[in-house]
Amino acid sequence: MTNKKNNGLEYVKDLPGYDRGYPIYFENELVDHLISIVLELGAELWVVKDRLAHLEEILSENNKLSLADLQTGKPSELLQEKLDEERQQLVKRIYGRLYSKYGGDVAESEGAL
Amino acid sequence: MTINQTIYERGKTAGIFPSLSSRRDEAYVGFIEDARNLLMHAQQKPIGEYSRSLLQDAGKSMETDPKSSAEAQELLMKDSVLKTYYRVKRSLQESFWECILNSFNMKKNELLQALDDAEKIGPGSVSYDPDYAVADYTKREIHLQPGGYVNEPLAGFIYDYGLKVFMGGSADNDAAHKGLASTAGAPKDGQVSRILDLGCSAGGTITALKNIYPDAEAWGIDVSAAMVRYAHLRAAEQNVDIHFKQMHAEELDFEDNSFDIVTATLLFHELPVSMAKKVIAEALRVLRPGGSFTIFDFPSANKQDVYGMFFGEMDALDNVEPYIPEYVRSNVEEVMDDTGFEMFPYDPSKGLLIGRIGTKPEN
Repeated sequence: MTNKKNNGLEYVKDLPGYDRGYPIYFENELVDHLISIVLELGAELWVVKDRLAHLEEILSENNKLSLADLQTGKPSELLQEKLDEERQQLVKRIYGRLYSKYGGDVAESEGAL
Repeated sequence: MTINQTIYERGKTAGIFPSLSSRRDEAYVGFIEDARNLLMHAQQKPIGEYSRSLLQDAGKSMETDPKSSAEAQELLMKDSVLKTYYRVKRSLQESFWECILNSFNMKKNELLQALDDAEKIGPGSVSYDPDYAVADYTKREIHLQPGGYVNEPLAGFIYDYGLKVFMGGSADNDAAHKGLASTAGAPKDGQVSRILDLGCSAGGTITALKNIYPDAEAWGIDVSAAMVRYAHLRAAEQNVDIHFKQMHAEELDFEDNSFDIVTATLLFHELPVSMAKKVIAEALRVLRPGGSFTIFDFPSANKQDVYGMFFGEMDALDNVEPYIPEYVRSNVEEVMDDTGFEMFPYDPSKGLLIGRIGTKPEN
């Protein structure tokens, strides 16, 4: 089958977003990088907190540990609920201030739909 | 070996839904999902009000013409809050896709094997051609998904998990697809023996439709081999009988007058307008007289103010949605009408994705 699907569509290659690119939003690109770094650090901090809580639960209940339990096991429902709440509070506490200028720092969590 | 033994479910009950490779990755994307919910989704309304007040205070036009839109973009993107919002959005999105891609690549062979195994089982079927010539306009990394839908063999797994994060958990259980499918148009005579979903992706809509019309022969087509393979795996896992086939929606390999219902969910804003017109013409062709076509997608025809246009144009740029701006400026329902559909009244105020429903005339 020949590729004949681009007739009349040459213009689309110039549309914003046709290629993913690397958008920069601030005059000083360093600010963009710093925001990315701070978000990444938050995610990695959460990973450590989550895994530590899971580790503590395993040790307190079984007093024995396997790497498989830690890597692919799931925390109890009770702990998972606590972690879900704690994670949201962490995000709000650290990053909510980004939007305090218009009051968005007090916005409640909301899905896209 | 069954699929259930190779992949276990986590967080979703509509068919198969593999976990990531480690607790570490699940925790990581859990953080991103919350961050997106709190720092993006929850901000949309207040940041919209904030942005509109900036535009009004600066005396800018709220009209949606390209000049006003460009002026709005220039003004708003000088504001530090909006710069931060879009930087945060982009960074979080890049992070979760990268994590999901890397995590599924850790068990790539297992996942590819699950797709291979699913091809040997029913109900339903899947057909695709490894040498199929896919149109360049479809090879975009929509939503920043690495490799997009057509250049990554694990695209279905990545998309389905990614969508859960992208939508902040609200895509779980195919709830949105079930809700939309229940409002799809149907022939007045009630005769539904063959149904088709265009750009079927992971198969959410066609699965829901098949459950509504269990006796109908169901087809889902998508340009991506990876997506139809994954859609078949999910449908087979749910024991739902659907035929999936790799196909461009603008060039359907089906007979004239051969379907009773055709649908398309969130396909049209991913199409250049000239392609959208072809897809509508093809839907008319394959529907039988009295058959019904429903397009579920965002409002178009400038049913927004200049901030809405700005939002769409930023989405094009940083969410890889290159065709959204021209989609928003087009008039999908008018094109359906011009193509020959008899249109039902369309009222986008009733819902963001409310269906545009057209019937193929009897004569």
